[in-house]
Amino acid sequence: MPFPHGLLLPILRWATLGLLALTGGLVLVGTILQYRKDRQNRHRIACYQAWETQLTDYLFKKGYEHGSFGPVSWADRWLFRDFLARYQSTIAGQEFELLRDLYLGMGLHASLPQRLKDRDPNVRAQAAKEISVFRLDEPAEHAPPPVTERPWRWKPGVRMEGYLDQVLPLLDDPVPFVAHTAAQALTHSRSLRFAAPVLTWVMREELYQRERLLRVLEGFGPDLLPWMKENLESPNQNPEPWILYALLVGSHRHRESLPRLLWLLDVPSVDLRASVLKALIILADPEVYPRVLSFAASPAWEIRAQVARALGVLGGPSAVPDLLPLMTDPVFEVRRNAAQSLVDLGHSGVSALSWLADDPASDRFARDIARERLEWADERGHL
Amino acid sequence: MDLVERGRLFPMTRRWPAQTTILVVEDDPATAKIIQVRLEMEGLTVLVAANGMEALEILHREQVDMITTDLMMPAMNGFRLVQEVRDLAPPKGRIPILLLSSNHSEQDMVRCLAAGADDYMAKPISVQVMVERLWRLYERSHRVG
Repeated sequence: MPFPHGLLLPILRWATLGLLALTGGLVLVGTILQYRKDRQNRHRIACYQAWETQLTDYLFKKGYEHGSFGPVSWADRWLFRDFLARYQSTIAGQEFELLRDLYLGMGLHASLPQRLKDRDPNVRAQAAKEISVFRLDEPAEHAPPPVTERPWRWKPGVRMEGYLDQVLPLLDDPVPFVAHTAAQALTHSRSLRFAAPVLTWVMREELYQRERLLRVLEGFGPDLLPWMKENLESPNQNPEPWILYALLVGSHRHRESLPRLLWLLDVPSVDLRASVLKALIILADPEVYPRVLSFAASPAWEIRAQVARALGVLGGPSAVPDLLPLMTDPVFEVRRNAAQSLVDLGHSGVSALSWLADDPASDRFARDIARERLEWADERGHL
Repeated sequence: MDLVERGRLFPMTRRWPAQTTILVVEDDPATAKIIQVRLEMEGLTVLVAANGMEALEILHREQVDMITTDLMMPAMNGFRLVQEVRDLAPPKGRIPILLLSSNHSEQDMVRCLAAGADDYMAKPISVQVMVERLWRLYERSHRVG
């Protein structure tokens, strides 16, 4: 059937009108949305400016009088929450205690259960952070309220329970930074009942990521070390968590764990032995020198590289004869660490390096790395 | 302000000389405001700069007795600012500097102190402790000077 040509013009006309109406509608909606956003931003700026002045008055002039901050309307409470969040990472001490009073006094924590399950990952992470920063699980001096009121209906000075338990599921959050914030919140509580889930979360990560996450585990403090000693399975069966143990001993400079570190050196795991040697370098106990020296001929270069650093730290100038053979090691990292140890030893080490650098009969690799480290030290004014 | 209340909250053991001026270099206006108000309560004159560049301009223009600076800032960071200040001719080159940083690494602390900062505080900071440290720095620099 042929297309009726007489309809073409009206169809085009209506289509154009429809398109114009659609475009006009979209522009109108965009304008309204932009207007609302601008208005919200203006309102936020005005609120922040007013609250900044009120906050400094509250912190330094009227503090200790509960409720002296001034009223905040119900509609602006979410804005006020974000406003307070800006101070979480900068203010501590007496002023922070006043901020905590303000946060709890205004009941800003009441929305935490919903916020921990929010669709927006930023909101979930912020909620976990607030629980940690404002120490919502910390016992207070008064008796706990009836179970029916717990954990979310808080009253000033009353113990709140269960907040950190609500953070636990966030360790499985699909967004990495949310899980990271949740782990930080749990470790900052220093409560070892969260040690197992946080450690499991760390162990799920790749090896190179785990060392980065060591900072999170450090939040538990040195008490985590005896807990790990008691609760980890044998290093012969599973050496990986013990790598974290060794690194934590180093970062906490926990001398009491030295016997356990030496015991771990017997475990035939290259990564574990290298981590233990790193910890021994930090603990710097000269008594362990002979034990460290026994690994100088290890077939694993990762171990020899750590031995090259450790000998200089543990042995002082007397380590020079033991460091010289490592200068001819086939692996560059071992030679570089040995040369660096010699530079760090000062006069005796630098003399040995200069002799190696100038002696045409010395090993070619040893001569090259000796020259390179001497130049490096000279550029930095260490010679 | 109620002086009795102020005394209860912050016992005043320090006697800052009149017209003592401190330059607060901080890119976060909220933190800068808190520090500014607290230092003004001490009777100090407070100048605020948002980064190292602004701080240097103020330093060339005004008489400043002490500096407290953040480490991480746009345009010019605190580390660079310390180096620039130390390159100035005395007495400006010897102004006591307190560095504030949210980075807790030992390496950064050593780096800042080696660059010429007189003291270092890791964030979050207690403003009370900060004031006390500034006072010690001021006392020491004037005793030495």
